[in-house]
Amino acid sequence: MPPETTKAAAGEQYWQSIDQWMDSTQFETLMKNEFPEDAGEWLDPVSRRQFLTVMGASVALAGGGIGCNPSLKPAPAKKAVPYVKQPDQLLPGVPLFFATAYAQQSGVGLGLLVKQTEGRPIKVDGNPNHPGSLGSTDIYAQGSILSLYDPDRAKEAKLSGKSGGYDNFVTSIKSELEKQLGKQGDGVRFLTEPSTSPTFIALLDEFTKRFPKAKWVQYEPISRDNARKAIQAAFGAPANVVYKLDKAKVALSLDADFMVSGPGAVRSARDFMKNRKVRTVKEAIANGEGIPVESMNRLYAVETMLTSTGAVADHRLTLKPSQIPDFTKALAAKLGVAGVTAPALTGLAAQWLEPLSADLLAAKGAAVVLVGDQQPAAVHFLALAINEKLGAFGTTVTFTEPIETRPTDLNDLKVLTDDMKAGKVDLLFILGGNPAYDAPVDFDFAGALKGMKGTKVRLGVYEDETSFDGQCQWFLNASHYLETWGDVRAFDGTVSVQQPLIAPLYNGKSPLELLATLLSYGINDPLELVQATWKKFHDATVKGADFEAWWQKCLRDGVVPGTAMPAKTVAAVKPAGEVLADKAFAVPAAKPGLEVQFRADPTIYDGRYANTGWLQETPKPITKLTWDNAAIVSPATAEKLGVTNAFGWTGGENGRTIADLAKLTLDGRSIENIAVFILPGHADDAITLHLGYGRTHAGKVGTGAEKGAQGPGFNTYVLRSSAGLWNASGADLVKKSDTFHLACTQGQYLMESRKPARHATVAQFKADREFAQVPPASAAEYKELRELTPGTVEDFKRLGFKHPYEQHHDSAHGTEHAAHEPHDKRMVPLSLYPTNPSTVNGVEASKSYRRWGMAIDLGACIGCNVCVMACVSENNTPVVGKETVTKGRAMHWIRVDRYFSIPGDETQSDSLGAANTSDAYRAGQVKRSDSIRTHFQPIVCQQCEKAPCEVVCPVAATIHSADGLNDMVYNRCVGTRYCSNNCPYKVRRFNFIQYSDYSTESLKLLNNPEVSVRTRGVMEKCTYCVQRIRNAEMETEREFDKRKVAGKTDKFGRPKIMDGEIVTACQAACPTSAITFGDLNDDSSAVLRAKAEDHNYGLLAELNTMPRTSYLAAIRNPNPAMPKGA
Amino acid sequence: MAQIFPKSMNVLARMSILAVPFLAAGGGAAGTAFYRSDYTTGAREVTEQPIPFSHKHHVAQLGIDCKYCHTSVEVSANAGFPPTKTCMNCHQQMWQSADLLDPLRKSYATGTPIAWNKIHNVPHYTYFNHSIHVGKGIGCYSCHGNIDEMNLVYQSKTLLMEWCLACHRQPELHLRPKDEIYNIKWKAEDVTNPDTGKPYDQLTLGKLLKEAHQVREATVLTNCSICHR
Repeated sequence: MPPETTKAAAGEQYWQSIDQWMDSTQFETLMKNEFPEDAGEWLDPVSRRQFLTVMGASVALAGGGIGCNPSLKPAPAKKAVPYVKQPDQLLPGVPLFFATAYAQQSGVGLGLLVKQTEGRPIKVDGNPNHPGSLGSTDIYAQGSILSLYDPDRAKEAKLSGKSGGYDNFVTSIKSELEKQLGKQGDGVRFLTEPSTSPTFIALLDEFTKRFPKAKWVQYEPISRDNARKAIQAAFGAPANVVYKLDKAKVALSLDADFMVSGPGAVRSARDFMKNRKVRTVKEAIANGEGIPVESMNRLYAVETMLTSTGAVADHRLTLKPSQIPDFTKALAAKLGVAGVTAPALTGLAAQWLEPLSADLLAAKGAAVVLVGDQQPAAVHFLALAINEKLGAFGTTVTFTEPIETRPTDLNDLKVLTDDMKAGKVDLLFILGGNPAYDAPVDFDFAGALKGMKGTKVRLGVYEDETSFDGQCQWFLNASHYLETWGDVRAFDGTVSVQQPLIAPLYNGKSPLELLATLLSYGINDPLELVQATWKKFHDATVKGADFEAWWQKCLRDGVVPGTAMPAKTVAAVKPAGEVLADKAFAVPAAKPGLEVQFRADPTIYDGRYANTGWLQETPKPITKLTWDNAAIVSPATAEKLGVTNAFGWTGGENGRTIADLAKLTLDGRSIENIAVFILPGHADDAITLHLGYGRTHAGKVGTGAEKGAQGPGFNTYVLRSSAGLWNASGADLVKKSDTFHLACTQGQYLMESRKPARHATVAQFKADREFAQVPPASAAEYKELRELTPGTVEDFKRLGFKHPYEQHHDSAHGTEHAAHEPHDKRMVPLSLYPTNPSTVNGVEASKSYRRWGMAIDLGACIGCNVCVMACVSENNTPVVGKETVTKGRAMHWIRVDRYFSIPGDETQSDSLGAANTSDAYRAGQVKRSDSIRTHFQPIVCQQCEKAPCEVVCPVAATIHSADGLNDMVYNRCVGTRYCSNNCPYKVRRFNFIQYSDYSTESLKLLNNPEVSVRTRGVMEKCTYCVQRIRNAEMETEREFDKRKVAGKTDKFGRPKIMDGEIVTACQAACPTSAITFGDLNDDSSAVLRAKAEDHNYGLLAELNTMPRTSYLAAIRNPNPAMPKGA
Repeated sequence: MAQIFPKSMNVLARMSILAVPFLAAGGGAAGTAFYRSDYTTGAREVTEQPIPFSHKHHVAQLGIDCKYCHTSVEVSANAGFPPTKTCMNCHQQMWQSADLLDPLRKSYATGTPIAWNKIHNVPHYTYFNHSIHVGKGIGCYSCHGNIDEMNLVYQSKTLLMEWCLACHRQPELHLRPKDEIYNIKWKAEDVTNPDTGKPYDQLTLGKLLKEAHQVREATVLTNCSICHR
């Protein structure tokens, strides 16, 4: 055993896993391991088969390719196939961007800008014109491009499981509809997901006009029924809530993960986090890059499961699901909402009330309470009442007319299922969704569907649980949203026209086409259908203007002007006593036993993305699990239940968590085996279950190669009944003797205890703006280290700062830093690694050429992983599969590290008072769910100016470019992996085997042609999106004369790449704009302003690697009046 | 037993030992020569095309500008192959019934593109961009040679990495004024140096143009990520 353990680094502050916190011997050994074990094998059974195929192919290539072609030509002869008539605007090699939108929860749209090269869409980004996006996206939008090319998509229309032909379907269904005419469509039912599409709704209206007794049922498993019900009750009319979070000073989240999930989340994250990016540079504040520390907002979170929102909250209270309504009632009563009887609160919750209500009241008019969709209607109603009391209406909370034409109601599905069972349904159309998998278990929709006598028609992208093996007589393959025309409303009602980026790959049909065909509408073309809707709107509102020009502008902008829903003045909230007395608002009392809450999965949502490998492999923001869900419990509850999470020979949370399996019973239904995952910060005596896993007919990724087998994870829908749609109580969890391997990426790539993620409270920041310049573990000197984070003395001066190096040697500055004297000045130039040898015009390149750098604001990071998804999509990152992830070989170039910390008992400050390092003390601390602090830190290649990886490469496959990029040359790489060994940041990824899919035809279309697809045996890593840099550079350089005339030259006289012309993929996708990228030698660059901040620090800068990437330490804004240690 | 080899063979044996390094060097030289040979690089290899399109006829004899067909050369990585429509602009009027143009007419009538054999192939991991080369003053001639004299196009340079690097190290040997990019016959000697009244040599003019066109230094142009991503 090594003499010094990680614990010895007094008061280890940040930890990623309980093992690390407890500092077990096993963990110690693992950390010393360079790579997890099993480095040379691929155990994934499905993948192994594929691997053999690929190996076979490579042998064939070696024999046939080189053997039969003695010419050794570097590239095989190719064909050049030009167009017959080249389309307008299209230039081969120059990508085009099209605005479109996609819809997810409740049919609410997110505006997108999709990049298309040579006719194939390859990358999704946000549309800056769209109110819901403002240029950013969520992970689902990023993943949707992969689902377009998914080889498992349904490819033809089928009748009873065999090729049916769409035309045959039309003839046969039309004759059935004729028969229905006499019954006024009494036996016709439509089951769809909620839609906001004006065209779709118009068509359905037309249908119901012709068949007045036909019924339209909407169902989605992640519904917003409770919020809707509360609004209806509070105002007597439906309304749509639009939050203005940029105006919020104090916010309380009641189990609302409002920055990551739900309609408008991308916008909410932008608006809310805007006021948490602390800046002191005046220009930065003037440019809206941040706010002065005084203007920082404050966030309180009350929740069961630790969420991204809870993780960034200033104060967090963990409550069981059943306690949240009580807490809300008590708070409402405290704030003076009439007619609410305050239940008695205990523990920390009781201590919260006083300071929380005072803080909310003090911010009257700028306070807001947000409630999660899964909370009971009573909580939603109380939040409305509280918001009214806080004067939030009209400021932070505004109302518009509802965006959905017809509200969903779960009862509709119940009625439909009963009708199906009673034989009342002759003709059922299921358009989209997957109700046989995700309907409440007590409805037995799957059974009703199987037993139904009438004709069943399903339109779906996959032959899933609802339509496999001819379950529905007619299966029609649907088109993807990137293949067809449509329209969709944003969270505020703004309409985007969805335009196709590619012709339907498998001739799929959209719901619009299907409905129009059924109606014999005259036009079937989705474009004409959508255009007809907007022609009407145009003629009514714009009048006189040229429709074609207006239409083209709508398509180009991605939004239809004037479609945002008009603001609505709402009546006063009805008296609480009256509303809460209603049976519909009753909150059932919790039964004894464990409580369970159901939530959409953070990456595969309700299960619809189960076959999207990118999303399966993206670590979930908090648990960092991939490819699985689990029953998530707190450490204290785990102890009570006797379940443990061990870590085995490939490293516990080091990639592989060996979790106990357990039997989970709820209301007489049970899951025989479910893995239990222990998460610090989860509420005690409660279990969080994520939905969407255990799919049986999702495809090769979401289910596996075997048909009908159960896919990764555990199907939790089997416990979800209509009575306990979100929360249930009286659950029983019994540990079994078996264990299960979970692929959890956190713990991989540890940087030992070197304070990677730094943070402070507002008070600490005010006292010492340089708090982030903490003494590193291995170097005695620290002030000098900022010299090592790029940014010159002159740059700092111009921005009104003293450069830290200078400051430090300023004798007048004096006493404060006296403790750190004397300084060993040799530390500064001293480095193990050579300086970039590149010179430009005879001067060191970093002083005479473009100097790319990145700053990441940890205070703005919400850990949502969109950057990871965007990087995967931009850089052709392969999916490796669960088994490979457990070995620490996920190929992501950017990862978001999640750290926990526990503040000391008596202090609110963010420094650890944990001098006591006994195991018992530590074991106790980890159970303090309310005190667990969570920190996110996105890690990319730090592009060191003195790069440790470069010196050890025997073949110079990784070397510096003049502009300071640490270039990775795949063709030189021979796979020694020395560079990875020597990288202190652990950002290098090695292709142990052929991960990239070279064989699937449809996936070839997905690749970004600007980035090499890497083969086996090659090291890879973040390039700062070098393809984007080079393209911008070439565009700038080739118009050098024009730029010169326009005065766009840099300080060296070269044509200037303007700040913001290069946007990395992660930066573009980030909802909170936490990432800044630019030229450090450009005086006016945003990245230089960010780096001039006193709380900017270089990661492991004490190693003198001079990282080009740096971090702005997170600043939190706790309320001094809150109870200590919370 | 008699000696098989007479004593005089000793000299030959000694000589042959001496020859080993020469043979090794010769082998090496032959190897590298083979690697750089036209046979291996495909240079000067004439490839049949679906239509025997002649650059000599169209460029040298008719004087059609390069950009008439290769439209995107100034704005894109690809110079662009002309669509069938471009050919038909003229050939709807001229040589309408020539047998040679049968594939062209067929393509236009059926909408099926013509699959030309690509002559200049760079490996997929090399990101060559036409627009920046043309934008900085590298003429077509530098890479494509006397394309105006070719009946069927062939690759006139090796396209080996050393060939790319030679120019990236010393671009001044290939730079020309921006209005002479598409002039295959242009020579630096055609330009008179106003200072001396004598014709320029390429090196002198190239250095001036390197300054004027703001061509980056060799330390930048030889960075790996300039071409490989």
